[in-house]
Amino acid sequence: MMTPLTELQRDALQELMNISMGQAANALARLIDAKISLSIPKIVVVDASEFQQMFQSERYWFTRQSFLGSVKGEVLTLLARAGTETIGGLLDYPLPLDARSNEELLLELANILAGACLHGFSSQLGLPAKLSMPTMFSARQRDSDSFNWASTLLLEVEFQLEGTAFDSRIVICLAGPSVGVLLQQLNALLES
Amino acid sequence: MEIADLHLQLNNRLPLGICVLDADYRVLYWNDFFSDRSGLALADVLGQSLLGLFPQQARYLKKKIDSVLVLNNASFSYWQHQPHIFPFCSSRPITGEETLMYQNIEFLPVECQDATVRSVCLVLQDVTELASYFFAEQQVSARLEQEHSELKALNEKLTMAQHQLLQSEKMAAIGQLAAGVAHEINNPIGFISSNLQTLQDYAVRLLKLTEFYAKVINKAGNETFLAMQRDMQQRLQFDFVRQDLPELLSESIDGIERVSEIVKNLKAFSHVDNAQWQYASLVDGLENTLKIAANQLKYKVEIQRDYAADLPQVYCQPNQINQVFLNLLVNAAQAMDHKGHLYLRAWQQDQSVCIEVRDTGSGIAPEHLSHLFEPFFTTKPVGSGTGLGLSLSYSIIKKHQGDILVRSEPGQGASFTLVLPLQGPDSAG
Repeated sequence: MMTPLTELQRDALQELMNISMGQAANALARLIDAKISLSIPKIVVVDASEFQQMFQSERYWFTRQSFLGSVKGEVLTLLARAGTETIGGLLDYPLPLDARSNEELLLELANILAGACLHGFSSQLGLPAKLSMPTMFSARQRDSDSFNWASTLLLEVEFQLEGTAFDSRIVICLAGPSVGVLLQQLNALLES
Repeated sequence: MEIADLHLQLNNRLPLGICVLDADYRVLYWNDFFSDRSGLALADVLGQSLLGLFPQQARYLKKKIDSVLVLNNASFSYWQHQPHIFPFCSSRPITGEETLMYQNIEFLPVECQDATVRSVCLVLQDVTELASYFFAEQQVSARLEQEHSELKALNEKLTMAQHQLLQSEKMAAIGQLAAGVAHEINNPIGFISSNLQTLQDYAVRLLKLTEFYAKVINKAGNETFLAMQRDMQQRLQFDFVRQDLPELLSESIDGIERVSEIVKNLKAFSHVDNAQWQYASLVDGLENTLKIAANQLKYKVEIQRDYAADLPQVYCQPNQINQVFLNLLVNAAQAMDHKGHLYLRAWQQDQSVCIEVRDTGSGIAPEHLSHLFEPFFTTKPVGSGTGLGLSLSYSIIKKHQGDILVRSEPGQGASFTLVLPLQGPDSAG
């Protein structure tokens, strides 16, 4: 299914996301005391197999967490396997990381990034949503058919920690009915 | 009922720990869950720093709470990573296997009206049951994994054993066939050999007779007869025949003797043969076996012998002992790739005779030494060895109440020493 957004709506959403991501990056930079750069948010239209392709990479760890509220969906986070030690150090983890503390770090990081993105997104649009606990995600074995794909909208942001090999991508997937809610809200904002 | 009262009651009824802190980590509220588990009533902790109340985890709690305050974003603590943040006892004090409670904690920002975070709410969930279920599952799966790998190893062993069993059955069949053939050949060889002896005797007589005739004709001096004789002898090349005939015969007799020797050896080494106990010289046995194994050893292997003089005879089953010698010699030959030195030594030691077979071959890997005498253990490719040779040897030597000793270092060759009591099994202590 193609994106249901018009050009205008897309631009507006992208701009809103950009502002909120900037705020998120700032907050994060304050917390870990490091410079963070981020990409311009992308509103992506990909087909199911491309979507699945995202989770085939050996370069990333994957986490997922759902959110509930006036909009529903899941946030998927891709975290680079390289550079986690640096982040661990910044976040006050005992180094070197073992498997357990590595997973703890990844989940915390995913939660911070996803939380920042979603928070920005929902506060800009006035669509409150609450994130649940993130969990590790392995989509490797999963068939693209098994994703409830037909009506999801992807908002994608890339974070990069300057001076490290670490980068991450946050993908907010909206479930079908929530896309409608988002559009309504966007239109209201555009009209005002 | 007032809605506030309802909330309060719910707070204390829910199976969750709820604790609210201000931005300086001071306790603003905690519910019955926390008071029950910690033994501290709300009144006792009100206004106190949570970090001070639980100093063990202060650093971790501070980090989590700070993150919530700064980011205005919920934070989570998982039982898998940090199982016991608060030192609470297990929810199953009687029947449970665990003593401390496993906890999942959510750190939630509580927003005030101007959207800044002034306080943090901790929601603690007791997941001890889940955790112990998870651990049990993990144990089961570990056990399954282990059993699976054991089964797999067993399977491989079985397949290998089957291969080798087939191989050894084949070898046994060949052995029986050889014994049968040897038996069948033995008969004709017997009469060929005795006929050849008789023929040799007859040939000598015939040659004598022709000599006699020649002498008679010479004596008679009749020129015509003399000429006829010369003519005939020339036409039949009699001079050559007279010379060649005895040689041919003795060569044939020699050949047939060798054939019968081989047949005798084959019979001696086939399993059909009975194993008799008798006094025998081990050195003779070793030498006889060397002849059998000559095919494997000849050309490239130099044999050095060092036998003590006047070795006593040993009460044993010579055929079986020869079988052991054969195994050792063939193994040595194969270890040396049929090229190298073979040292054979024999000496007496107290009431035993020792035989050492030492080669300069590839040696035995240390990890193989302990398996050497196990049935079906072999390092030779399938088809070359049955894996039975040394285990058979071992059982034979043990039956004699003797000993078989191995010394080897990889690349340095291997040495096998047999120790056999002089008086056989009954004498050994």
